[in-house]
Amino acid sequence: MVSFMSIRYLRTEESRERCAESGWYAFDLILSEGMDDDFIRSLRQVGGSFLYLPQLKQPFFKIESDYYMLKGVRGNDFFRMAVHGEHTDEVRRVEQMLRQNENGD
Amino acid sequence: MVYLNNAATTWPKPDCVLKALNDAAAGLPQGQFRGTGSSIDVFAELKKELAALFHTSDPARFVMTSGATDSLNYLIRGLGIPADEYCITATEHNSVLRPLYNIPGIAVDPGPVVVPCDRHGIVDPDLMEKSLRAGTKVILLNHCSNVTGAVQNAKAVGEIARRHGLIFLLDTSQSAGCLPVDIDGWGVDGLVFTGHKSLLGVQGTGGFYAGARLHLAPVRFGGTGRNSRQITYDFQDPADIEYETGTQNGPGAAALLAGVRWILEKSVEKIAGEEHAKMTALIDFLENLPGITVFGADAKNHGPVLSFRADRFSPSDLSYILQNSYGIVTRTGLHCAPLIHRFIGSDPGGTVRISVSPFTTEEDILSFEEAMREIMS
Repeated sequence: MVSFMSIRYLRTEESRERCAESGWYAFDLILSEGMDDDFIRSLRQVGGSFLYLPQLKQPFFKIESDYYMLKGVRGNDFFRMAVHGEHTDEVRRVEQMLRQNENGD
Repeated sequence: MVYLNNAATTWPKPDCVLKALNDAAAGLPQGQFRGTGSSIDVFAELKKELAALFHTSDPARFVMTSGATDSLNYLIRGLGIPADEYCITATEHNSVLRPLYNIPGIAVDPGPVVVPCDRHGIVDPDLMEKSLRAGTKVILLNHCSNVTGAVQNAKAVGEIARRHGLIFLLDTSQSAGCLPVDIDGWGVDGLVFTGHKSLLGVQGTGGFYAGARLHLAPVRFGGTGRNSRQITYDFQDPADIEYETGTQNGPGAAALLAGVRWILEKSVEKIAGEEHAKMTALIDFLENLPGITVFGADAKNHGPVLSFRADRFSPSDLSYILQNSYGIVTRTGLHCAPLIHRFIGSDPGGTVRISVSPFTTEEDILSFEEAMREIMS
């Protein structure tokens, strides 16, 4: 497992833009610094289809399964996670994964 | 940052609006009663200017509220007419739908007549007239769609209302201040507006106009600053009823007054023309960008709003990319108008919406176009 000590997970906030993920619960996972390519690639462990658009001014990524979705932009110190109501435990799973990566577990 | 979400709330505000807001909040409240921080009667001046803007002769018929939603709740509750006696359109906002479908005593099966719109968001007045039920008493029309920018023929709808002896309510949330509105000319009985959109005021302001044919029971009671010994009202006497209860938003009204005066000085027609030119440029660009579907492009008298979708992205993702990769603020989703998407073909994900104001620059539009070219390349 790769360690990403430099980018630490800080906290999870309910997204201010709740309406944007209509029918979903949206959260922003706040990080200690802007995401780089290695960090974004590490998120693929979460599971699901992976979309990465490197040609954009600030590259965009999205990881999607049937009941959750992660998306963000390289350089931003947060990414968004949206889950269907009955799957909010998935947010806890991602938080735990980020902490484990920090520790190099 | 490029701001293209003016249909949600306009930004920036004119300097005179910010100054009026600050002066009213900072100024010593005038008088020994319920004064705001202003040496003039802000509310009386505001209503006078609103009457000029909306083309009606009696400023006293305007009632200030916290916005369009508050106004619609007031009108719908105050009229007390069951929902099944309303005729509305598929373009209505939840500020109309939710009161009609939820207020106890109003929310009655089978609910209102909902007149469909075409794929651009336009409602055919002839179809509306044919759709009226025998018991219909009220037509409630959204003047300008907050999804497609389609502008309805309010004059024709007003004529239908007159022919059938119906009350005509007009929701100008998206048109007040940026498109001509003619209360007396169109036979509008009740008009709803919000202060923080094209009237260039701040959030928490707005109001309604209640014409002489509107018998509106008060739905909120409290202090009004006059005749404090009176505790009960004679509901049969319109002159006895007070609608503006509780401490009013004086600084907000002062800001709105400055916004309305700014608009009157510039003229609604000129604002409409300038915004139309900006929207035409955006429509032309988006229609020629491969992979983009524009909603409302062919609508006549287009307001300062349009929606679109991209074949490669969900509206939510595209709006997210525009904001976080390019610093361009748009809005995504259903825009609190759930019915229209069935008719324009944007169910279930809704659209990305862009909207301009008098302060949207050519550079803003060029930045948006550049970003969209890169995203869609």
